[in-house]
Amino acid sequence: MRQAIPAGRTAAHAVPRAISDRTICGLFMAPALAILLLMVAYPFISLLYYSTLNFSILNPAKGSEFIGLQNYTRLLSRESVWERFVFTGQFVLATVVVQFCVGVAVAYAFQRNFKGRDLLFTIAMLPMMLCPIVVGFLWRYMFNSEWGVVNYLVTLLGFGKIDWLGVPGNALWAVVIADAWMWTPFVILLATAAFRGIPTDINEAAEIDGASPFFRFTRVTLPMSMPILLIAFLLRLIDAFKQSDLFFAMTGGGPGSDTETVAFRLGKIAFSHFYTGQASAFAVIMLVIIIGLSLIFVRLLTQQGRQD
Amino acid sequence: MPFHRQPILIPAIVIGIYMIYACGPLLWLVLSSLKDRQELFSWPPSLFFTPDLSGYRMVFGIGEAAETATALGLTDALINSVVISVSGTVLAVAFGTLAGYACSRFAFPGRDDFMFFALSTRMIPPVAVLVFYHVMFSRLGLSDTRTGLILVVTFINLGLATWIMKGFFDGVPEEIENIALVNGYTRLYAFWNLVLPMVRGGIAATAGFCFIFAWNEFAFSTILATTQAKTLPVKISSATGATGIEWAQICAAGVVLVIPVAIFFWLIRKYLLMGMTFGVLGRSRT
Repeated sequence: MRQAIPAGRTAAHAVPRAISDRTICGLFMAPALAILLLMVAYPFISLLYYSTLNFSILNPAKGSEFIGLQNYTRLLSRESVWERFVFTGQFVLATVVVQFCVGVAVAYAFQRNFKGRDLLFTIAMLPMMLCPIVVGFLWRYMFNSEWGVVNYLVTLLGFGKIDWLGVPGNALWAVVIADAWMWTPFVILLATAAFRGIPTDINEAAEIDGASPFFRFTRVTLPMSMPILLIAFLLRLIDAFKQSDLFFAMTGGGPGSDTETVAFRLGKIAFSHFYTGQASAFAVIMLVIIIGLSLIFVRLLTQQGRQD
Repeated sequence: MPFHRQPILIPAIVIGIYMIYACGPLLWLVLSSLKDRQELFSWPPSLFFTPDLSGYRMVFGIGEAAETATALGLTDALINSVVISVSGTVLAVAFGTLAGYACSRFAFPGRDDFMFFALSTRMIPPVAVLVFYHVMFSRLGLSDTRTGLILVVTFINLGLATWIMKGFFDGVPEEIENIALVNGYTRLYAFWNLVLPMVRGGIAATAGFCFIFAWNEFAFSTILATTQAKTLPVKISSATGATGIEWAQICAAGVVLVIPVAIFFWLIRKYLLMGMTFGVLGRSRT
């Protein structure tokens, strides 16, 4: 009779004080949850609270005055603020489109097996690993209108020297080139991961059926790698929207304040002018946009997941 | 093999053009780090010249170059950077692994909300919360300390680590723990001795990503580390002296900074790709 008891049962009796799954789950979640809550909850509550105050961190003795939503209305009624949003939008659109077209094409080309591919691939990843501040200074050095190497190449092609960083329109493209240089590798990495995840027999079947390489790319490869590509797109979109390191190093926001992104302007309000209340309101607006964007993408992703 | 019959020409051209774009500036970074003051500003820019190591000497504060007012002397900052990014990476990976396991195996209430919350921490613009970190840190006595920056670095990577690790755990069949439980082992034993060894690659990939972001972190450090705890990127950004920007020194610092990351990346390159796929496949399965 004793032997008939399933092994699991006796074992469970033998270790009566085994920690329950509930406890393990709680213990495992605790550190991550504690750190995330500490680092997010406190600043967020403060952010919402201070965004309704007329307050400067430099002048705490002066006290704070509750002004309701005036920080928001003041910011949103200022044309220079809207200009920053338009400029940031242009930058985000340009850089993400460039990174995506180049990144997906290069990742697709890297699907071919050839000698030394791993080494080339790793070298192609290098820009992403550099420190953003160094990347900014490096491109500023190369874009210098007097002695920069970019203008040397331009003169080799028979054009005159271009004032890359002194004219707002040019500076936008200069930073796009630098940003795309740094972050296209990230798109390549994720797109490669996506392409490798597609079962090879699907492509083989399409090939046997006589599908052209172009058809296979647009009808098989692209749709099947969509979930990862969407995530890559979302991450790049948000990072580009947050971008301020490159502008800090390359243009310093100039000429004037023509190449300040939203994040750059926020940094200025918070840490040059020290308008803490107004900066908080600005940060809330930025966060609303970012959370909105990501909710749209999460919805797209779950839809995509269901279709599969 | 599906790609065999395609012409190699077009992929070769695509990769070739891209490599010129990717490598040109890298080459220029290395060349500029070896140029002396005259070569740096020569027109036309020179490809061949006698290398000059003063940029590197300034970075490490060796010899005469260390006397220059704008020399960085990065040794202190190097120690700070190593301590902060290694501790931050270890903590983020450890906590992310635990949380990733819990999210993969237990359907506790609010799990999906937690996952979105964890991801959304990556979306916060640093400037938006920096003022309050500043206040919070001075209250906790963490201003300008390595401990404070370790906390920040752990925080910025924790969400990503949780996501990638959850993906890897999703790839390990749950039967493994079930069999172990039936045979009288505890879940902790099964987790530590059976499941963890199976996701070693995932841990390596997660550590790789976390280390890149920790090592290069600038936005938080530049405000929170004022003197004592300055890391390498913060120190580099201050290399703009009265005599203008020390280009050779900045480029040399860039080269020095990228070497450990590049070696690390090369070692874990196989797992990186795996990590990204698993992360997403895991997501669409839930």
